[in-house]
Amino acid sequence: MKKIDNLINKKDGVIEQSLILQDNNTWLNFLPVFSVLFGLLMSGLMMLLLGHNPLTIYSNMLSYAFHDIYNIADIFAKATPLILTGLAFGFAFRASLFNIGAQGQFYIGAIMAVVCALKLGLLPSYLILVICFIMSLIGGSLWAAFIGYVKARFNANEFLVSMMLTYVAIAIMNFLLGGLLKEVKGEYPQTDVIPKSGWLPSLVPHTRLHWGFVVALLIALVAYIILWRTSLGYKIRMVGFNRDAARYAGINVEKIFVIVFFISGAFAGIAGFTEVNGMQHMLIEGFNPMIGAEGIGIAILGNAHPLGIVISALLFGALKVGGNLVVQTSRIPASIIGIMEGFVILSVILSYFIRDKLIVLRNKKKLVVQEEHRL
Amino acid sequence: MDAKCNLITLKNITKFFPGTIANDHIDLTLVSGEVLALFGENGAGKTTLMSILYGLYQPDEGEIFIKGERVKIRSPHDAMEYGIGMIHQHFTLVPVHTVVENIILGTEKAYLKHLDIEKKVKKIKEIGKKYGLEVNPYTIIQQLPVGMQQRVEILKALYRNAQILIMDEPTSVLTSQEAEKLFNFIHDFKAKSHSVIFISHKLNEVMEIADRITVLRDGKIVGNVLRQEASDSQLTHMMIGRDIIIPKTNSSIHPKSEMLKIKNLTIMGDKQNKAIDDLSFTVREGEIFGIAGVSGNGQEELAQALCGLRKLKSGQVTLSDKDITNKDALSIIRQGVGYIPADRHKEGLVLDMSIEENLFLKDHSNPTFLHYGFLNQNKIQENARNLMRNFEIKAASSTSRVMTLSGGNQQKVAVAREVNVGSKLLVAVQPTRGLDLGAVDYVHKTLLKEKKEGKAILLISTELSEIMTLSDRIGVMYRGKLLKIVQRKDAKVDEIGLLMAGITEGKANEKN
Repeated sequence: MKKIDNLINKKDGVIEQSLILQDNNTWLNFLPVFSVLFGLLMSGLMMLLLGHNPLTIYSNMLSYAFHDIYNIADIFAKATPLILTGLAFGFAFRASLFNIGAQGQFYIGAIMAVVCALKLGLLPSYLILVICFIMSLIGGSLWAAFIGYVKARFNANEFLVSMMLTYVAIAIMNFLLGGLLKEVKGEYPQTDVIPKSGWLPSLVPHTRLHWGFVVALLIALVAYIILWRTSLGYKIRMVGFNRDAARYAGINVEKIFVIVFFISGAFAGIAGFTEVNGMQHMLIEGFNPMIGAEGIGIAILGNAHPLGIVISALLFGALKVGGNLVVQTSRIPASIIGIMEGFVILSVILSYFIRDKLIVLRNKKKLVVQEEHRL
Repeated sequence: MDAKCNLITLKNITKFFPGTIANDHIDLTLVSGEVLALFGENGAGKTTLMSILYGLYQPDEGEIFIKGERVKIRSPHDAMEYGIGMIHQHFTLVPVHTVVENIILGTEKAYLKHLDIEKKVKKIKEIGKKYGLEVNPYTIIQQLPVGMQQRVEILKALYRNAQILIMDEPTSVLTSQEAEKLFNFIHDFKAKSHSVIFISHKLNEVMEIADRITVLRDGKIVGNVLRQEASDSQLTHMMIGRDIIIPKTNSSIHPKSEMLKIKNLTIMGDKQNKAIDDLSFTVREGEIFGIAGVSGNGQEELAQALCGLRKLKSGQVTLSDKDITNKDALSIIRQGVGYIPADRHKEGLVLDMSIEENLFLKDHSNPTFLHYGFLNQNKIQENARNLMRNFEIKAASSTSRVMTLSGGNQQKVAVAREVNVGSKLLVAVQPTRGLDLGAVDYVHKTLLKEKKEGKAILLISTELSEIMTLSDRIGVMYRGKLLKIVQRKDAKVDEIGLLMAGITEGKANEKN
């Protein structure tokens, strides 16, 4: 009994804290919101250091981002590929797998889309779009399935393999843009503009927002349905939570690795389709170079849940649109946008770390109470 | 030499691990010039206690005295300062470095000073000669056999002037000749009025080498005897638990058809050793077949093989006349084999999922719950409600995460599912480990009920009382073999206890 008393006394502070947690668990759900605000606060300090007033910058950002219908639509247009690369990371993350190579899968998808669009210009528009969609999906998914395969077959580290494959994808893209796919003019490492019939129709007239955004939303819905409504998703989550229990339940864990990477890569590949057919209408060397990395941050910010990923991607879209305009109209360096994104992601990761610590503390307290009952 | 002063005194050492007490108020003394054996089953807390003495863990409570002085040992470095060296079960050598490099690793304080290898080699050779532990200092570690690697570990401790050696299951990796050499060294070392703490769960070793034997069970010290006064049966009693009360069982065996037949089964362990060696037995319908034995004698591998998670090297397994040899896990589940694991958190449950999802764990491919690959939520919920009612699982709702349940209710979730899945055979491995008395009783009753309904049950447990209470027939497993299979009514606790320690009747008589 004395021992337990000691334990309780020693950890008094802890118990208080965890009681708060237990009684009022809901505030933990708003943790991402707090951490986003904290990240913006840190970026504000950075702006102060650079000699700018963060309040002016932020209010300018807000007013620019929501200034007119064109800018608002641009937020959604910018968010479109981010939703998809976010889903690519988040989906694999549900199986405790790390696909940090969405950038490469995105490029492969983009190459497939641009090749299809350039070669099929004579077909009806809807057919071109469907074929581009399917081919970019297949390109991205096969590219990623290879990662799952080497993990399953040789127990290779998927983290490294997916990262290195990105460089291979970039090399392939550069090679193609230097020769086979190079524009007719032959001036820049980029393709010709794809025929208008291959363009994704615009969603809001006179803006850059295209139907790719709806595609991204539908894909998010598909990801949700797979994960929480199908037997496959159930197996994927089981593998993610407890690989040993999954094996004992008769699941072929290695097969799940390949399937998860296949699906994850498909999402990233489709981002290539929406960017080529909806936004750029051509393939340019090294375009959107941060889209994979941002997808990782977005997936973490959205807690690897499709709805959370959509919301986070919109937030990043708004940061980009507002940030770009602020940078153009004031003397603040352009890198401030990247710094803001970085701080937001960093504080979100920190917040999850803190949350886990709090949960561990709470469980410890539970254990003490159990001990007490036993004596 | 001031004879027999208390070299080390541990007072009231207590160490908590999440969910368990690994060491519960342990008092221990070591005098100079003695070999003290720490004897007990795997998981009794021996290694934890010694890791505390060696500075790897900090005790939650209690004090350590060395030569009468209270000390704090914060790291192995501190321990070495006090002359304590530990030979771990898994060696801590750098395989691609030479013997001398390994031995001096971490002893050189200077960064830029010239390293006089020759001088070190000379010292190592001297120590080697003194204790009969010769080894070529320039050999690369990975080229040495395991016994020699252990010798390097010992030299490493002696090079640091260790006067107290802690050896954690040192013979487990050795051949019998190598073990003999090790014992010779221990005698020499002791003769120089140094001390050894010898951790082991092997009775014969302990009786051979120790001067004094301290027995640990469930983190507590249950006995402390001098070797001259100790007997085999007394020690095994202490190790397994003295208070075995065997209730009368009314099970009369009606010979029924054989459900599980295992023939000449051989399974390789992780270290490419024979974990199961030419094993044959049968389990009948409506029978509980208990396998007793100290853990680590092949039980785990046997259970994994029966679940389809470990390949058999040779042999045959049939379940109600169907060959299930080397079938995969899913098809074995479909044949009606349930598995109640010892480590439910690792193997039996997904703590982050709901009760509903956990009760559905093994039906992920069962067409009853699926509709074109989509989950039929209604069926899953219905299944969960039924099982929760039948197995008295207490929870706020079927969607509560299993993590939030008490240990007993968690095990009920696993048991409910496995009883449901295992329509023909239930394999239960330590099904009551870590449970409170009420939950233990519940699991036992469930097993007896399923037996009455005609299922075959294979119960693997290290708790002899559990085996004696439930089984109709008992087999004792030792080093991958069943030493003996007895009817429950003919079984004697003493005999089984000795068999668990690997002592067959003939041997025991020899000793007395």
